[in-house]
Amino acid sequence: MLVLDRLGKVYPNGVNALERFSAYVRLGEIVAIIGGSGCGKSTLLRAIAGLDRATSGTVTLDDISIAAPHAKIGIIFQEPRLLPWLSVADNIGFGLSELPADIRREKIARALDRVGLADKANAWPRELSGGQAQRVAIARALVPQPEVLLLDEPFSALDAFTRRDLQDHLLDLWADTRPTLVLVTHDVDEAMVLADRVLVMRPRPGRLFEEIKVNLARPRDRNSPLFDNFKRRVLTALDRSLDRSLADADPKTTEGEAMWW
Amino acid sequence: MAMTVELPALERTDAIAANPASSGRLRRWARPALGLLLPVCIALAWEIIVWLGLSNGRLMPPPTKLFATIADLARSGELTRHIVATLGRVAAGFGLGVVAGTLLGAISGYWGLARRLLDPTVQALRAIPSIAWIPLFILWLGIFETSKIVLIAAGVFFPVYLGVMGAILSVDRKIVEVGRTFRLSGPAMIRRILLPAVLPAYVVALRVGLGLGWMFVVAAEFMGASEGLGYLLIDGQQLGKPAQILAAIVIFAILGKATDWLIEIGTAPLLRWQDAFGGKSGAA
Repeated sequence: MLVLDRLGKVYPNGVNALERFSAYVRLGEIVAIIGGSGCGKSTLLRAIAGLDRATSGTVTLDDISIAAPHAKIGIIFQEPRLLPWLSVADNIGFGLSELPADIRREKIARALDRVGLADKANAWPRELSGGQAQRVAIARALVPQPEVLLLDEPFSALDAFTRRDLQDHLLDLWADTRPTLVLVTHDVDEAMVLADRVLVMRPRPGRLFEEIKVNLARPRDRNSPLFDNFKRRVLTALDRSLDRSLADADPKTTEGEAMWW
Repeated sequence: MAMTVELPALERTDAIAANPASSGRLRRWARPALGLLLPVCIALAWEIIVWLGLSNGRLMPPPTKLFATIADLARSGELTRHIVATLGRVAAGFGLGVVAGTLLGAISGYWGLARRLLDPTVQALRAIPSIAWIPLFILWLGIFETSKIVLIAAGVFFPVYLGVMGAILSVDRKIVEVGRTFRLSGPAMIRRILLPAVLPAYVVALRVGLGLGWMFVVAAEFMGASEGLGYLLIDGQQLGKPAQILAAIVIFAILGKATDWLIEIGTAPLLRWQDAFGGKSGAA
């Protein structure tokens, strides 16, 4: 179980990005975190990933305190972030360097097959479309079989058609090993399609505003009245969460700190 | 779904690329040939002018005279001796400059404190025209090989230093983060993320450095050498042999281009992934 206990983050420039955020995510659960820009959702995800340290509070996964990137936690970013000098296959195998070559090769081949890019094994990342590249990124994150997979607006840079395709694909891949998914998004539809629970955040300082359970069987019909009903609840919560602080909206302040060196 | 939509498009571009292969070969030879047209015409014209007696060609010898001079030098073994001397100096100076530039550039790029300490001094030194060091180098290191090699190394050092430091500083933070999420150790981060990311800029820095190395070897050989292509230049000037000067210049051009090409083909396999590189070598 992933436990977030009173997480807080104040950036050196004084921006209070996250305040007393507490939540838990059960193994195999899919949780979407949604909120307006500047509500600290990316900050939160980076703290869970161990990429940025929270200034207060703790992240624990199965009673292990997370303060740095951990083998059990994988992350997918908004951009694919493939290494341009590695082939698609080597990108997928990037996190498997400790394994013997033959096991590694086999895992890569299975992952390539699973994301439908077997014919692209030897292609360079630049030869892929945006959707294909993001699928490689998903494969790269899933291949080491993390217990928790974090997704930071993973499909927001894609066109609507590819986005839907990849949402379904992600669910399909999730069903293989059922890792915990924590998904940050600003797309209500995406949250509704994927999540068991939606956490709505409120900006400045970033705080948990409302939690909505989505009791809908999967696969979910995007056009069903029930789906719409849940969607309206999330939208209403979002509206209320933004009500107070629309005036002082400023661009994202959730970018990380300086380079690690 | 997305794949089936994209595949035909890919095939189409392949077909376009494959189709004009025959005319592509023509274009590959036609373009450099076009570049040769002007110098060949000028050389021919000059040859004819001298042959017609419109000029005696003493100060500007015609191409046949030039080639005869090169052939003479080659036959006597003199040419090899001079080329070996110059190549040796460039190699030693380039090697020294590259090692120092890479090391200090990497330290400055990787480590902020070192950059703040080191970089202002290096930048200040860079502002001094390197030729200005010659008298001092001769006083310090003598007139023989050491001062020459150090001068060349000083010329090579700066572009390599700047290239390495700049390349490290501009490595994409987002890619470094990927390394962090996979918990790469310091050395693994350098080997698997930083080195490959820095390589394209490093190759450019090496090529610029090599160009400067060739420039400075001439300056170095001007300051008193008994062999080397630069010596041929000075010797040709003092004894009034313009054909020998031109011969040395032509050989400089050939060697400079050849060594640059060696770097290019030596590193090409490492840079195959790069968009721009493929495009450039295809067009050249």
